[in-house]
Amino acid sequence: MSKNVDLNQEGVQVKKSACYFCHQNCGVLAYVKDNKVLAIEGDPEFPTNQGGLCCRGNAALLHLDHPDRVNYPLKRVGKRGEGKWEKIPWQQAIDEIAARLQDIKQKFGPEAVATAGGTQRTDDWARRRFMNYFGSPNGFHNAHLCWIPTFMVETAIYGWCPFDLDIGNSRCLVLWGQNPGASGMPEMHHIKELQDKGLKVIVIDPRFTETAAKADLWLPLRPGSDLALALSWLHVIIYEGMADDDFLTNWCTGYEELAAHVVDFSPEWAAPLTWLTPEQIRAGAVMYATNKPGNIQWGTSVDQIGRPAGATMHARALLRAVTGNLDLPGGDLLTGPSKDFITDEEMEANDVLTAGQKAKQLGSDKFKMVTWPGYQRIADLTKKFWGKAPTAEWMCEAHPPSVFRAIISGEPYPVKALLVSATNPISSYGETKLVMEALRKVDFMIAHDYWMTPTASLADYVIPSAGALERPTITSSYGCADFLLASQRAIQPMYGRRNDYNFWRDLGLACGQQGNWPWETVEDAYFDKIKGLGYDAKTYDEFVENQRFHFPEREYSKYKERGFATPSGKVELYSSVLEELGYPPLPQYVGPTENEIDNPELAEKFPLVLTTGGGFMPFHHSEHFQITPLRYLNHSPYMDINPETAAKLSIQDGDWVWIETARGRIRQKANLTPGIDPRVVFTQRGWWYPERDMRDPVLGGCMESNANVLTTTADVDCDPFSGAWANRGLMCRVYKAEQAAEKEVC
Amino acid sequence: MPRYAMVIDTRRCIGCHSCTAACKIHNELPDDMVYNPVTTVGPVGIFPNLSLSFLPLLCMHCDNPPCVDACPTQASQQREDGVVFVEDSKCVGCLSCIMACPYGARHHNHATGTVAKCDFCKHRLAIGKLPHCVATCHQKARIFGDLEDPESEVSKLVNGNRTVRLLSELDTQPSVFYIY
Repeated sequence: MSKNVDLNQEGVQVKKSACYFCHQNCGVLAYVKDNKVLAIEGDPEFPTNQGGLCCRGNAALLHLDHPDRVNYPLKRVGKRGEGKWEKIPWQQAIDEIAARLQDIKQKFGPEAVATAGGTQRTDDWARRRFMNYFGSPNGFHNAHLCWIPTFMVETAIYGWCPFDLDIGNSRCLVLWGQNPGASGMPEMHHIKELQDKGLKVIVIDPRFTETAAKADLWLPLRPGSDLALALSWLHVIIYEGMADDDFLTNWCTGYEELAAHVVDFSPEWAAPLTWLTPEQIRAGAVMYATNKPGNIQWGTSVDQIGRPAGATMHARALLRAVTGNLDLPGGDLLTGPSKDFITDEEMEANDVLTAGQKAKQLGSDKFKMVTWPGYQRIADLTKKFWGKAPTAEWMCEAHPPSVFRAIISGEPYPVKALLVSATNPISSYGETKLVMEALRKVDFMIAHDYWMTPTASLADYVIPSAGALERPTITSSYGCADFLLASQRAIQPMYGRRNDYNFWRDLGLACGQQGNWPWETVEDAYFDKIKGLGYDAKTYDEFVENQRFHFPEREYSKYKERGFATPSGKVELYSSVLEELGYPPLPQYVGPTENEIDNPELAEKFPLVLTTGGGFMPFHHSEHFQITPLRYLNHSPYMDINPETAAKLSIQDGDWVWIETARGRIRQKANLTPGIDPRVVFTQRGWWYPERDMRDPVLGGCMESNANVLTTTADVDCDPFSGAWANRGLMCRVYKAEQAAEKEVC
Repeated sequence: MPRYAMVIDTRRCIGCHSCTAACKIHNELPDDMVYNPVTTVGPVGIFPNLSLSFLPLLCMHCDNPPCVDACPTQASQQREDGVVFVEDSKCVGCLSCIMACPYGARHHNHATGTVAKCDFCKHRLAIGKLPHCVATCHQKARIFGDLEDPESEVSKLVNGNRTVRLLSELDTQPSVFYIY
């Protein structure tokens, strides 16, 4: 709130808006007059943030009308990446893009059009709806790195992903590679409150994070070695008498096979693999298993460890089952999808896409869990049991690196157009050099964004996106929760911006999808979703103003009446679904994607273990580097290195250093901290420099400090279940950079 | 008459810098100025035996404010409710108050030539709202209120916990209390 704004003046309305700078969607009150937002503040009545806002949320007004925002559709008039643009009317942009897509479809088939998304910052069911009617199976996000593989593996085992923690009644919380202290402020607040009442918190993280500092037990494992830890916890719980025999006997299949399978995975076995002591491993297992009910919170880390990811998710999921922590008060709840409102999946029109087109989804022959083969199997099971399926946009997507490779090679078939919405793949997708090559090569590229990002700079058209205060928001955990939180738009989009929904709808109409888009506005669509709830509301806005939330009554231990949504109706410790899809039915040990034991020669050249991808304030993924007061807080990219290691490498605090893997090298500034193992380094993610030249080849310095230059997406390094690639547990070396980065800011 | 005070529960602070950003953004501070930095203490120790804490800072709104005494033009003032502030039009930018403040809580605004500082968001107090840094804190690590009111949360916290005030040996009598 600026000091000079009188919020009590006549005509000021208070809108119940939401922050849109991460998934938490904190409630925001926007003070609006004449379609202008005068001030914002956290909504004290919103159940998650309770008035709080993080750095990013506070910057909403700086974001809304920042001078660098793209405000009108731009058409390239120079060469790709030359930075020469012409402002054109919205409808002209839509018509020209549609004509080009139709032409590509005619010549190469609809599958030659792919779409890329980022994290959940858009109405992705609308994108999927467009793609389904268009006929292409090749939409994707960074879904593979963020919960989606976890969701599908867990659903294979017990019929839904137990992401809804009944934490208020819990006695123990395992934060497995999650740092809400830097990435989920409302969650951290609730954890701290509950800790004061006795909740035990275990943090599994190679770094001594903000959250680890508050934990009861911190387990600093070697990055990427989570599988060894999970297997040895299973061993301890089963062989040291802490398993829930009643639950295992009555509600699980395959207990004997599992017990036999983990017999050798003792803490002594796991210790050299995880770099933890057997005592640390045992202490964690005991704390979790004996403080029941308990929760294992999902974190993105296991989705990002590459080759061992799927098996790790499986092993971690089994921990909930062997302790009997599923669907009981205080445990990890299997809510299933909403029975009460129309889910995202029901808006996607997945039946429209033919089986023939589904079969063409790139990567689905190799990585089956989050593509049509696995999704279809699981969706059939959940539909039979719950009546509904998980959201396909997210849970069933083309494998991004396979799409990039198809663009470059034309194999197995040509991909000629890429529509990029709310993402900056150069910064956010793995193996940047590959992504860059694909973006330069693709025949036709659209970027739908707030900013002229490095990716948008290479586009043929840039479409201006409406942001947080300019759009309504429904928060429902990727469309998979049984609850929803609803927020309204504070103002209509400024300038020539539009919501992503309107982009896909308009493009759909221009591509001959008349009759398939009954909702003219986002609010119309949202109202359709919620009108069956039975609240007294005639419009979506009325629902927000009067109700705002829908939280159904919690039902516990539903399995006692209905079983689980698996083929046997039980928790399948030995998973028939995984077996059917060609994966090991029990979690087989696989070492970290790159490691010193399997590949000592690599370790000789690259002796340090790299972890990257973790969130840090005040940025989100590759965003907000333009916003000066935020940049002031963290002006340059920093990497963490232990002082002992730094001393050996003659690196001092604040020095620019190179971090190099077999894929390439980047530079960041050294942050000397004892909060990391001397054998490990951590690099910040997402960095680019919007203050630099945005034209090709500089592209905002997008290769210089970008952690994804270091990551690998080769098929062999990906998780065979999902195709998730590796950001963590890679081998690297670090050395001092001869000179500082091109230009230091602030 | 209230006596405004703040309690900072460092056990709750996670060093997210939201308070710093909220103050800087909403009070429209110049790029090079923050009123309420959060200082990171640590991690200290040797891996893996470590501790980490955060120390949020701001103007201490002292009962005995040396900055007010140091001001030759009476631009630096203290209200009866304890809020220490600078009346911009009277400030000649001599910077005496900056030298007098032992907490580094005063800043030279290079654009205007005057001295700027945290004033507990007195423009918000006037309309019944909390200071930005307090309202925005997810962790509820900053608690603000009237020390004269025995029912206020700050009174209860100050009277019910072991608290410290920074540089108490200087007898500045800060109205910012820390729980650790």
